[in-house]
Amino acid sequence: MISDSITNASASAAPSARDMGKKKRTNRAAKLKQSKLGLRREQWLSQVAMINKGDKEETGPNRKTGIEKVVHRDLPVEKLDGQPGEEEAHHHESFIESLSNSPNSILTGINSIPNFCSGSSSGSGGSCSGNITEDEDAADDGCLDDWEAFADALAADEQKKHDKENPPEEQSASLRDSVSGSNVAVRDVKPMSRKQKSNQAWRADDKLRPQGLPNLGKQRSFPVMNLHFSSVAVPSSCPICYEDLDLTDSNFLPCPCGFRLCLFCHKTICDGDGRCPGCRKPYEKNTVKVETSVQNGGLTIRLARSSSMFCRS
Amino acid sequence: MMTTPGGSGRFKPLPTAMYAGYSGTASSWVAKTSVSASGKRIQREMAELNVDPPPECSAGPKGDNLYHWIATIIGPSGTPYEGGIFFLDMIFPSDYPFKPPKVVFKTRIYHCNVDTAGNLSVEILRDSWSPALTITKVLQAIRTIFLKPEPFNPALPVIARLYLSDREKHEEVAKEWTLRFAK
Repeated sequence: MISDSITNASASAAPSARDMGKKKRTNRAAKLKQSKLGLRREQWLSQVAMINKGDKEETGPNRKTGIEKVVHRDLPVEKLDGQPGEEEAHHHESFIESLSNSPNSILTGINSIPNFCSGSSSGSGGSCSGNITEDEDAADDGCLDDWEAFADALAADEQKKHDKENPPEEQSASLRDSVSGSNVAVRDVKPMSRKQKSNQAWRADDKLRPQGLPNLGKQRSFPVMNLHFSSVAVPSSCPICYEDLDLTDSNFLPCPCGFRLCLFCHKTICDGDGRCPGCRKPYEKNTVKVETSVQNGGLTIRLARSSSMFCRS
Repeated sequence: MMTTPGGSGRFKPLPTAMYAGYSGTASSWVAKTSVSASGKRIQREMAELNVDPPPECSAGPKGDNLYHWIATIIGPSGTPYEGGIFFLDMIFPSDYPFKPPKVVFKTRIYHCNVDTAGNLSVEILRDSWSPALTITKVLQAIRTIFLKPEPFNPALPVIARLYLSDREKHEEVAKEWTLRFAK
């Protein structure tokens, strides 16, 4: 199912992005934020035009996908919470409000009626992963009040998730602005428009795809780690013994001054006076501890990386 | 040995004279340390020195012993050491670069940072040594004390005192020593 594929993609993207280092993300995200905001306005405008034109034709197919989606959405909630009534009541409430508020959201409201019925009656096929993403989405949706908040939430989000999730949210935002004035209505519209997005999301070769939209493939080949390395130039060989640095060594940053060396030389130095060759300051004890645990344990790379995180902070 | 401070009696003024007596000690180094990490490091430093030597300096193994080098520094112009060719012995410990090389002037020089045995009072060759330093940097540091002696970290306080109190006299003696021993 479509929602499943989205879930998987974002789930697999999450850990790798986390590994890249949260701190670096802030810098990069600040730059991306600016450019993306501009892009998004562009997309948004074009989307509004498109939606206004194509709204009526799309309702047909959307109804189907919408049903699938909401089935997924509601099942896990029931299973985990054990109190489906609350969630449903909320949906109904907002549905009623949206009915009264905007003419266009009636469409989505109608869609959601069969959804609730089928959702509560059919008890099979609810997936845990689906539930997780939906919960995240719900959390995201709650705080998107304006463009600034929207951008901030995005900045905090993972890179790849951006590309997956942004277009629909723009759509919903555009829907909100063009169609209804109330926030409550937006809530109801959102799941609907997310589904639309899965129909409309730009492929790499899509003609409608804005030119300036960042290419996902490019971003994958340009991980944040590389950015960091280019700024602190990692030597290919240990400056002490001239042996090549392996993966563990090149992730090993024992001193805040940024001087890198291989683990063997670091060990030798720690057996001696224990001062960093780069700045001649004594190595910090925490770092040494990390290093020994690297040698004893199996989690070599992760520990080395965490030590480098520690040093940078 | 030659490298320990205070062995003033063994200091020989003519470079050619001391090499013969030294080779015996040098050969005993080889057996212990020829196959080690320090060997690779020294070889790399040698290659880098050949490609990009520091100005007015040269250095290389004395014979087939990688751990025993001879270096020369030409006295920088504008100093009383101008035009002199100063020979230095460099002996690498087996745990180089974690320990500094032992550098000794083989040419007599009138300098407050070089004692009568040719030992240098240069911090980077003692407590401030860092494994990240190379022979190139050591040579540059030695060349720096030619240009600017450090009288507050002297090897021979007598010369340091003269340097501080009567610079002209100091320059005169240093020039004379350069003429006598380094040309």
